[in-house]
Amino acid sequence: MTLSTSIRFSDLSRFQQLLWSLTWRDVRIRYKQSVLGIGWAILLPVSMMLVFTFVFTRALDAKSLLPTSMPYALYAYLGLVPWTFFSASLSGCVNSLVANRNLVTKIYFPREVFPLSSIGAAFVDFLIALGVLCALMAYFHVRGEWHFVAHPTLLFLPVVIGVQVMLTIGLGMLLAMANLFYRDVRQVYGVVIQLLMFVSAVVVPVPSDGSTLARLISLNPLVPIIGAYRDCVVEGQLPDGAPFVYATLLAFVLMTGGWICFRKASYRFAECI
Amino acid sequence: MSESVISFDGVSKRFRLGATHDSLRDLAGAVLGSIFGRGTKKSCDETFWALRDVGFDVRRGEVLGIIGPNGAGKSTALKLLAGILRPDRGCVRVTGRLAALIEVGAGFHGDLSGRENIFLNGTILGMSRREISSKLDAIVEFAGLEKFLDMPVKRYSSGMYARLGFSIAAHVEPDVLLIDEVLSVGDAVFRLRCIERMQELVRNGTTLVFVTHDLDQMQKVCTRTIVLDEGKIAFEGAPVDAVDRYLSAVSGATAHRPTDDLVACDQKLVTLTDLSVCDASGKRISTVDAGKPSMIEATLELKCRIERLVVEVNVRRALGESVVSLNSGRSDRFYSAAPGRHRIGIHLPSLPLAGGQYFCNVRVWDANRGTTVLDTPYRYPLVVNDGGHATGMFCLAHEWSFCSEPQDKLAIETVIEVSQTTAGEAHESLPVR
Repeated sequence: MTLSTSIRFSDLSRFQQLLWSLTWRDVRIRYKQSVLGIGWAILLPVSMMLVFTFVFTRALDAKSLLPTSMPYALYAYLGLVPWTFFSASLSGCVNSLVANRNLVTKIYFPREVFPLSSIGAAFVDFLIALGVLCALMAYFHVRGEWHFVAHPTLLFLPVVIGVQVMLTIGLGMLLAMANLFYRDVRQVYGVVIQLLMFVSAVVVPVPSDGSTLARLISLNPLVPIIGAYRDCVVEGQLPDGAPFVYATLLAFVLMTGGWICFRKASYRFAECI
Repeated sequence: MSESVISFDGVSKRFRLGATHDSLRDLAGAVLGSIFGRGTKKSCDETFWALRDVGFDVRRGEVLGIIGPNGAGKSTALKLLAGILRPDRGCVRVTGRLAALIEVGAGFHGDLSGRENIFLNGTILGMSRREISSKLDAIVEFAGLEKFLDMPVKRYSSGMYARLGFSIAAHVEPDVLLIDEVLSVGDAVFRLRCIERMQELVRNGTTLVFVTHDLDQMQKVCTRTIVLDEGKIAFEGAPVDAVDRYLSAVSGATAHRPTDDLVACDQKLVTLTDLSVCDASGKRISTVDAGKPSMIEATLELKCRIERLVVEVNVRRALGESVVSLNSGRSDRFYSAAPGRHRIGIHLPSLPLAGGQYFCNVRVWDANRGTTVLDTPYRYPLVVNDGGHATGMFCLAHEWSFCSEPQDKLAIETVIEVSQTTAGEAHESLPVR
């Protein structure tokens, strides 16, 4: 039993074009028929930041928990930006195959483009949010609450983003595939992602007191990744070696494994969807 | 016209009838059930072979038609060719760039404009953005949607939607194009243009595989036809011959349906034992020449006497469009029939129908009681040969004449008309716009 599909999609450029088209579609339709349009990509992380800043500085005093001297709003925003990229990507991925049922059952091309374009669309928002980060840093700098220094570690940021993207691709492919076979995955995902936010050092630091809980949390690769954003941008230091290397390896293994599983299962997608 | 671009070798495809577990709860149930021996096993094991050991080759530049009754496996075959499904047994090989039009506008997004959807769907079908840009005008013009290019397609009518979808696929210029009965959409003019466009693609070297229910269209376009029936190849050969095999497959399938059979006809007082077509000499013929005299003859068997019997013969095209209805009552011919066998003939000095396959049915009324005593399904084929002259529905006797109009005369008369002379003659000979 053989099937040669290699010829059909031999050229990578066609795959790229397709990925680009679907990413662009996802970005376009997200902000269609809305007054603010793409402005929401700016407004959403900013409003999230304001909410968390209010909760954690007015209602609760989180300032004392912070291991650093940076303003809480900046701390929260630097967590929320990579976190939003991560969670928005995965939310897109979970539904990507099922939402494109029409294409999956009617037209052939490598099914990887569906989760990948979901990640691509979230990446566009992520880049916009990074732009807002610059504005935010400028604001605190001008107000004198905090002083901006152009650390050379900023150059390490693309590596951090790369690691996060690998991790997202691995998990995204697995989730997209799993949700195609069992729709329960979407529901479970909804709960898990909520929980994950509070153990990934997004808006509050994770405990590091050597307790069982702390050791369990340290297995979460998002902790060193999100921490690395703050280290590179604000603290001017490279992320802690061991946890970051662990996260990198795990991300790589997940991406490779996830992609292989996806590939192997993809010929059954059209009949099982 | 030599090398084979599609090879479909001993392909079988099986579908599960029962559930592949749709949710974890089902899965858990099935697992528990199998552990404790309570059988949900049955639902998992029941399978249905959509295709069984089907094999064919298509050479470059050929147009292969695939016809067959519903559920014969046509779409499955096409999806296997497109790579959407993978065969359970056998091997599918396609050489070159392939575009599949299995559903028109499958990749459209309602919120995007026509233009945006052309780019989106074009890349989905395998064109590069540059290629699409260069063909944009041709695509839009073919679809006839110049005015609506920037409107979101969710506000398109279904015809506009379908036209745009076909137009994009028709401009991909693939090596192999797969089309699945999508041409039933759009109006007649657009359908004709689709056929022309397909023929143009074929002339430029595209290999076409075409699934359809429209036998006329199939005969016009295809060079070879496969009839699929219950997942197997029932016939492979010339399109004209395929039609017969297809019809017997279709009528075989419908014969089992009770609703189609002789409906509520007074306990079958009347049965039709034969419906035949004869030429002028009374000899039975299988094909009627459109221009020559012929006779349709029905043989009825009556169980009782009917004082005023009315016979009606209806003729339909393969797709069910009614063509003509001949009713003896409307010709004021009532027949007093004794029990026994009767032959009723309709003499036709000519049968001016366009060539192709038609179907007849016979109805019989008892005019005195006002009851229908026989109403057969459209099961009796009538094949007309028009010598290849006519498309459309009729083959009218006609002659052409051509002559040129002298230029200067026309010019003078136009001037006369403009200078408001009451020139009746000039009006008559002016070209009609």
